[in-house]
Amino acid sequence: MSFLFQDRRTRSLLIITVILMAVNLYTIFVITPMVSEQHWAQKIFYVHVPIAWTGFLSYFVVMVAGIFFLLKKDAYWDRVGLAAAEIGTLFIVLVLITGPIWATPIWGRPWIWEPRLTTTLILFMIYVGYFMLREFGGHPERVARYAAVLGILAFIDVPLIFYSVKFWAPQFQLHPQVEIVQQPDGILKPFFFSLCTFTVLYILMLRFRVKILNFRHQIKINNV
Amino acid sequence: MFTTLLKKELFVELRNKEVILSMLSFGLTVLLIFAFSLSGDPKIIHEIAPGLFWSLVVLSSTLGLHRLFSQEKDFDAFASLIAAPIDRGTLYLAKWVSGIMFLSVTELLIILPFFLFLGLSFPVSFFPGIGIVLLGNLGIVAVGVIVSGLAMRAKMSAVLLPVLLFPLITPLLIACVKATTGWYHVLPFSHWQFWVLIIATYVVIFGLAGYIFFDHIIEE
Repeated sequence: MSFLFQDRRTRSLLIITVILMAVNLYTIFVITPMVSEQHWAQKIFYVHVPIAWTGFLSYFVVMVAGIFFLLKKDAYWDRVGLAAAEIGTLFIVLVLITGPIWATPIWGRPWIWEPRLTTTLILFMIYVGYFMLREFGGHPERVARYAAVLGILAFIDVPLIFYSVKFWAPQFQLHPQVEIVQQPDGILKPFFFSLCTFTVLYILMLRFRVKILNFRHQIKINNV
Repeated sequence: MFTTLLKKELFVELRNKEVILSMLSFGLTVLLIFAFSLSGDPKIIHEIAPGLFWSLVVLSSTLGLHRLFSQEKDFDAFASLIAAPIDRGTLYLAKWVSGIMFLSVTELLIILPFFLFLGLSFPVSFFPGIGIVLLGNLGIVAVGVIVSGLAMRAKMSAVLLPVLLFPLITPLLIACVKATTGWYHVLPFSHWQFWVLIIATYVVIFGLAGYIFFDHIIEE
């Protein structure tokens, strides 16, 4: 594992992430105000939304890496795409867990066919297929191409999924629709801090995962 | 070149009727299951009929889509097809158009049993419904050809195809069901024109995506 921390930039990023995350958790649990109707359930908002943001950002990275891979035919971009897909799916699973945790006390039931939750679920299902394709697709070079195409298609499908679900069940528009900028400073600042913290965490995780995949690739080449 | 490729697809299908027969037989079986499991209030069946129809179409289409590349795969003809000086986008278009034809013929054969078995009343006007179904077919096959191309060389292609296809076509399926409901329940066009727009957008986006990416899909 020591190879992961060899360069100074990664070490610095790791230290920054640990400090940011510690401050973030302290802010969420101790400093942020308690919202009267939601109490502790509201606190999940500082984690749930940043996780959802990083998940979607990660799938956006999968699409960008896919475009670069198809244009440049450089396997490095395939590894970036794979790393982003894995991390994105991890975050999306966390969204699907934290969403119902918040919804149970607020909506009275864990799942509602609300557009954002449904879009997240469908994206997750697409990525289940993505990983199956990577596993059973056959030749690695071909799989890399297929994964790039699917990563692009999955992301361009997002707005269509969102709008079709939104108008399919207008009665389920229960997701908090409040304008984030209208929130008081006591909520807004910790929220943006959490958003930045999770983005930094995502960058660190992506760097680590790409490094591991590069290392694995190098071992494979050396063994051939 | 497009017409030659399309003729090839139609000729192969006319000779062995693999795609249409597999979709039709499977569709009728699913319809039978629907008829037995939904023997309830006719009003409820009338309400959910558009959803049942599109479920039937999507389920049957997976079999047909799986067979779209079967000839090339079984006889290892892809190498010659790729070696031929043909634009890969044109290959996609030929597969797309032939797929739409096969799916439309299947629907044509299945629609009467669908109304009869489920005891449904016939719609007031047919033409808007035909338009919606054709648009829906365009969308399903646009994505279907891409997904079928992605899955055809995989180890578990029969499993992989629906796993990849169903989530990708969710917005299309929702829009098709909503538009068909609007038409079948004789609602004004303004109530369901949004869904037609969603279907059309979907067709354009995935049709273009297929045309652009097919080169990367069928490459050996």
